[in-house]
Amino acid sequence: MAIGTLALKNLKRNKTRTALTLLSVASALLLLCLLWAFLEAMQSVEGADDTRVVVRSAISLATLLPEAYWQKIRTIPHVQAVTPLNWYQGTFKDDRPENFFPRFATDPATLFEVFPEYQMPDDQKKAWAAERGSFIAGKELVDKYSWKIGSPISIKGDIYPFDLTNIVLRGIYTVPNAPVQERQIFFHRQYLEEAIGNRGLIGTYFLRLDTSDSVPAVVTAAEKMFENSDSQVRAETEKAFNLSFLEMIGNIRLLFGAIGLAVVISIFFITANTMAMSARERTGEMAVLKTLGFGGGQVMSLVVIESLAVGIAGALLGCGLAFGLVGALAKAAEKVFPVFSTISMTPKIWGIGLGVGIAIGLLAGLVPAIAASRLRIADALRRV
Amino acid sequence: MKIPLKYNFRSLFVRKATTVMTIVSIAFVVLVYIGVLALAGGLKTAFAASGDPKNVIVLRDGAKSETESFFGLDKARLLAAMPGVARGPKGEPLASGQAFVLQILKRADGSESNVSLRGVEPAIFAIRPQVKVIEGRPFEPGRAEVIVGRNLAKRFAGLAIGQQMLFGRVQFRVVGIFDADGSSFNSEIWVPIADLRDSFRRGENVSTVVLQAASAEAAVALVDRIKADQQLKLQPKLETEYFAEQANANSRQFVILGNVLAVLMSFGACFAAANTMYAQVAARAKELGTLRAVGFPRRTILAAFLVEAAILGLLAGCVGALAALPLNSITAGTMNGVTFSEISFSLRTTPQILASGIFLAVITGVLGGLPPAIAASRRPITQLLREV
Repeated sequence: MAIGTLALKNLKRNKTRTALTLLSVASALLLLCLLWAFLEAMQSVEGADDTRVVVRSAISLATLLPEAYWQKIRTIPHVQAVTPLNWYQGTFKDDRPENFFPRFATDPATLFEVFPEYQMPDDQKKAWAAERGSFIAGKELVDKYSWKIGSPISIKGDIYPFDLTNIVLRGIYTVPNAPVQERQIFFHRQYLEEAIGNRGLIGTYFLRLDTSDSVPAVVTAAEKMFENSDSQVRAETEKAFNLSFLEMIGNIRLLFGAIGLAVVISIFFITANTMAMSARERTGEMAVLKTLGFGGGQVMSLVVIESLAVGIAGALLGCGLAFGLVGALAKAAEKVFPVFSTISMTPKIWGIGLGVGIAIGLLAGLVPAIAASRLRIADALRRV
Repeated sequence: MKIPLKYNFRSLFVRKATTVMTIVSIAFVVLVYIGVLALAGGLKTAFAASGDPKNVIVLRDGAKSETESFFGLDKARLLAAMPGVARGPKGEPLASGQAFVLQILKRADGSESNVSLRGVEPAIFAIRPQVKVIEGRPFEPGRAEVIVGRNLAKRFAGLAIGQQMLFGRVQFRVVGIFDADGSSFNSEIWVPIADLRDSFRRGENVSTVVLQAASAEAAVALVDRIKADQQLKLQPKLETEYFAEQANANSRQFVILGNVLAVLMSFGACFAAANTMYAQVAARAKELGTLRAVGFPRRTILAAFLVEAAILGLLAGCVGALAALPLNSITAGTMNGVTFSEISFSLRTTPQILASGIFLAVITGVLGGLPPAIAASRRPITQLLREV
């Protein structure tokens, strides 16, 4: 196709300009892809199971529920197992984020019934259950700190006025499909309870149901069961529970969306500017083409193809860079912000990046292209 | 010999369309940068307005925030009676026990968040004179009445005057909206402490106690006195420090985000500036040849183009900064990661933030203008003059 070849040849005429435009498109799309990947990583609820329901106080997570609810919840039809999880928080080593990981007080007898995907050898389960001052940890965490079975650790309490002093590692669990879940520790709730004077309070109950179809029935039953008590509850799927934290942070999606839009508008102006410059320079040439018999449409497509080529090449470069960078970021995030270690360039993000590149290329070329197609030969040739 | 600035300025606008488009694209970078930093600025302003250097907040030892803190009323009474606590006009100590409860509420857009319910004693209004009821009336203890911070009233459903809301076991009625002069208290609901304790069955305890000393120096002394008291085993903090910690913890993410964006976006904008300046150089070859021929040295040409690029950046920076000003009317809400509760605040484009946005644009312009400027200064006179 002659027009296409000519358009690409034109790109080579001012190499600096083409390269600069391409790089600005690429850097903008790199940014867009990164923003999107972060947003998706934040919203990923890896490991949430649709047969699990979380029951917590209707007031908020900072208010705890009575221990007596445990047996009552267990009697709701379709509920197979219930385990308590109390968020201990605390400080391990220091306040730096890389030393933060979730720490839960729970019940060793029921934890694995509710989380069957957590895998741990039976002898370790027994050893953990038998020793009050012991804990278990996920494999990733164990590797990170080079702990071994029998290693003691200490964590300073903040929510609870009690420090975990030299609790001993008795088990290492793995979660094959959700390694993020391997960055937690669990210890005996009973151990904590005794230390703080048996307050008999539980932060969250995790329920395992027979099938995901029973979720609505169990949610309604649990909320109804305690409707007239002093401590009303809220029941929701594990996924909804995880997403509620994101909801509290506020409208991050809107913020990122606004930034993304500004980035796109900004590259649109940059590319449109370049295309206008390059088209203006060649007004004379276009007039010659027209004199030779090329139609308005053909001259128009000449400019559009040129701009489209820059858009696509810039998008490929930007997305490629994002792909490389995201891989590196995921590795770096593992240590500092484990939440973001799931960050990846999904096919969707590739699609968005390339789509925006193509759209920018088309739109940016359109204005000078229309001007070129309307060009009157006599006017154009008269210009210097 | 120097080339007058007017020449640069006029040259830029010979090719209006190109220059304007470049200015717009750099201005967008500045706008985003200022916008994200304005979030951090707003959070910092809100927390700074909350702390008073005369005030001391007392938490349970080991607790990092009010949410985690609690201790017995007996200790709260001992604190109020401590020497160094200032007294009000009737001789009452300027001390207030506070009960802090998080309550899930729906925002106006239907999403949910934890809202701070703060149980307070009457002395709190003397301790925090910036808190004023601007609509309705103050609450009366024992009648299940609350007053709501103005940001919260705007952003959350069902918090208008006269509306009822279940907090714990009791239906409370909103009787007033208060303004706390831009501070983080604007995101809270205040309740008489006894009512809150009763409704949530909290027993004979408080979350924290806030004390006012006669002066900032007296507050420091008061902190030391409480720290030294082995019987209390409590953790006193200057209120300014307590809120500064929260300001830093919560605004850090926005500062990081803003700077990462600034670097990446200005990278792209640099290329745009370079393109424009290359076009300027190319279009003015003959002019440059003439300037050189009449005796202007190479470095003057270099300087002239850099100045021109800087003007381009400066203009873009000013446009971006101006476009960012309306952001100040936006109220945003996020989670206070320390107390785990909603904090609403107004975006703040402080002069410092605006200045750094403009600075970013100038740097972008100059960096983008550098390669074309060098290229322009290096070309031989003969070649320049020969160009059409």
